[in-house]
Amino acid sequence: MEMAQRARALQAQAQAQAQTQTHGQAEGLARGGGREVISLALGEPDFPTPGPVVEAACRAARAGETRYPPLTGTPALKQAVRDKFARENGLDFADGEILVGNGGKQILFNALMATLEPGAEVVIPRPYWASYPLTVRMLGGTPVFVDCPEADGFRLDAGALAGAIGPRTRWVILNLPCNPTGASCDEAGLRAIADVLRRHPHVWILCDEIYEHLLFTSQSHRSLASLAPDLLPRLLILSGVSKTYAMTGWRIGFGAGPARLIAAMSVVQGNATSGACSVSQAAAAAALRGDQGVVGVMRDTYRARRDRIVAALRAMPGVRCALPDGAFYAYPSIAGCIGRTSPGGRLIDSDKAFALALLEEQHVAVVQGSAFGMSPYLRLSTAAADAALDEACRRMDAFCRGLTLA
Amino acid sequence: MSLIAARLNRISPSQTIAISTKARALKAAGRDIISLSAGEPDFDTPDNVKQAAIRAIERGETKYTDVAGTPALRRAIAGRFAHDSGLDYTPEEIIVSTGGKQIIYNAMLATLEAGDEAIIPAPCWVSYPDIVSLADGTPVIVPCGPNSGFKLSPDALADAITPQTKWVFLNSPNNPTGAAYSADELRALAHVLLRHSGVWIFTDDIYDKLLYDGVQAATIVQVEPRLRERTVTMNGCSKAYAMTGWRIGYAGAPVALIKAMEKLQSQSTSNTSSISQAAALEALSGPQEFIAGMVATYQARRDVVVGMLREAPGLDCHKPDGAFYVFPSMQGCIGKTSGKGAKIEDDESFVIALLEEEGVAAVHGSAFAFPGHFRVSYATDTDSLREACSRIQRFCRALR
Repeated sequence: MEMAQRARALQAQAQAQAQTQTHGQAEGLARGGGREVISLALGEPDFPTPGPVVEAACRAARAGETRYPPLTGTPALKQAVRDKFARENGLDFADGEILVGNGGKQILFNALMATLEPGAEVVIPRPYWASYPLTVRMLGGTPVFVDCPEADGFRLDAGALAGAIGPRTRWVILNLPCNPTGASCDEAGLRAIADVLRRHPHVWILCDEIYEHLLFTSQSHRSLASLAPDLLPRLLILSGVSKTYAMTGWRIGFGAGPARLIAAMSVVQGNATSGACSVSQAAAAAALRGDQGVVGVMRDTYRARRDRIVAALRAMPGVRCALPDGAFYAYPSIAGCIGRTSPGGRLIDSDKAFALALLEEQHVAVVQGSAFGMSPYLRLSTAAADAALDEACRRMDAFCRGLTLA
Repeated sequence: MSLIAARLNRISPSQTIAISTKARALKAAGRDIISLSAGEPDFDTPDNVKQAAIRAIERGETKYTDVAGTPALRRAIAGRFAHDSGLDYTPEEIIVSTGGKQIIYNAMLATLEAGDEAIIPAPCWVSYPDIVSLADGTPVIVPCGPNSGFKLSPDALADAITPQTKWVFLNSPNNPTGAAYSADELRALAHVLLRHSGVWIFTDDIYDKLLYDGVQAATIVQVEPRLRERTVTMNGCSKAYAMTGWRIGYAGAPVALIKAMEKLQSQSTSNTSSISQAAALEALSGPQEFIAGMVATYQARRDVVVGMLREAPGLDCHKPDGAFYVFPSMQGCIGKTSGKGAKIEDDESFVIALLEEEGVAAVHGSAFAFPGHFRVSYATDTDSLREACSRIQRFCRALR
């Protein structure tokens, strides 16, 4: 049987799988023996889920908290989410303005499924998390990209954003700090963006703040919603526990926004998966309520690794690297390597070719920038131990030094 | 530009919300409410399954897994399919999702275009037509009454198939009727389906461990292997292993469809919880002995409920083969007035009056696209069931 158009659209987007493909190739290489493969391809923390969170989950399982949870989330978790927004972001959400989903991804999917008509436009800053344009296209919408050049530190310029908004724009997606660049926005930048959005009252704003706690700048994270509460009636905040608390596998994300949007998103979720795993919800509530010191420890570690890896990248011939404000990635440019040939004889004519050659010849897995909409770049994850990061950089340095113009 | 997309208008507003809201309000006001509206087991998740989950948590199995499920779990599911139903799905032909519901959702979104039809025998779980509609398809409801044991006949199936038909849904044992198709009945349906090579079959077998009176489970690919190439065989851990909150459903299907479903899932939820997958691995590959005891308990409860409801005037109660529901007719009560003066016009007014006057919560048949009936769940302790059935008898006796 022929698959539906929406499924075919997904299948054509090979880049979506770049991350998993690369990591899978790395695993394949590792299984085949030979030198240890170092994968910097995945977007997940290498830390374990914190002890108290683990304890809470085990208690919940033992106590039989294993029944269907309410669709929009358990009362305990929803309250913990509301308290988090009050405590951390100065935002007051009612119970009907919160939805707990299976990861932040499902919150994104629900929002778009509930609101996108065919032909509607969604403004997406580029480089982007691949799921944004993929999901928009799958649901019949049209992505409109706003380039965030390296020269600006990959930061979103309010003027550029204004130029991308038009009468068919349904959503603007903001991802701050950004995957893959780690770029964030200072207060002045956020205010400028808010001013642009005020001039277009038909546009809804999706603020993906999943990396909100992994910000290394002197200014701590501010939600756009906190700075511009007048935008709240058309703003959805997406966050979750995956990155902050090293809980990627547990699959808990949440959305906060106007009740009628949350209600529509709940209808979508109700037809897709119902409520999220009850044991995971108990774990997430414990993470949000517990000692937040673990978050600071992880953040300091990621900051130190960022400094380490950026310094190493900047020393590699043909490589430039902007300093990310947050998240756990580096997004170096390999423009200086394009046109050269690898020691193994592969012509480096793209970031994809670079990534492939680096994997085959030096057993280091990274993701090519084309997967995030901007070439020729690479995304390296810093979610690996120092020794692994150092070894990966050493090998990549050797690789770059071995490139020739032959 | 209105905010909410038109596709959401195709979803029926929740039929059960009125009842559950009322039940909650009455309970909050101190009324003694017995809920027979649950769609989940009252048993607890087995200890060995919980222990496996706890071990996985402590070992740090808390990272992203493959979207379609861990290799170990997909192998265990293949083993389960082979052992229980003689099906030979390979791990690559299996996907693990967040509940059986997401299997349906993925399959429909992957395949339905506007204008495509999906044949849904009624009484049916309301999510089938809702998901079909969300995926731009057209649900074609085919009522299957008590005279056919609430089962789709080959003639009814043949009559419903059109050039637009893309899917036929089977649910055996059925929610809400508990009806189960025998191998012969499935063979007769398969005979029709073999003549329509463009039609795919979605078989929801999630209740197939809950069968009574020695009735044997049967699933369509098992009885007609030639349909394997166009069938999705869905099952899960929720009902058989009392794991509703863990959110584990799975399916076997041809690789091309599994891959399409996997790609869709990768853009909506990624993998289902890694901890739940570890729990499911134990459930599916660990000891299965406890199931027999659970089934015996459900059967005894079924007999109590059927026996007592058959003594309620105006009700006509069949005896279900499986699941944990009974679906009696209340048509003998239509037009009458309750003891407290409520007019019984239909199944919905019946269940509302029953709730308000006797404190028993059941679900009206219209919620399952089959008016004139109501669904009673017997997934609760026998004492509560006896008390609830006494109240239903009293309610019916008081009708004038």
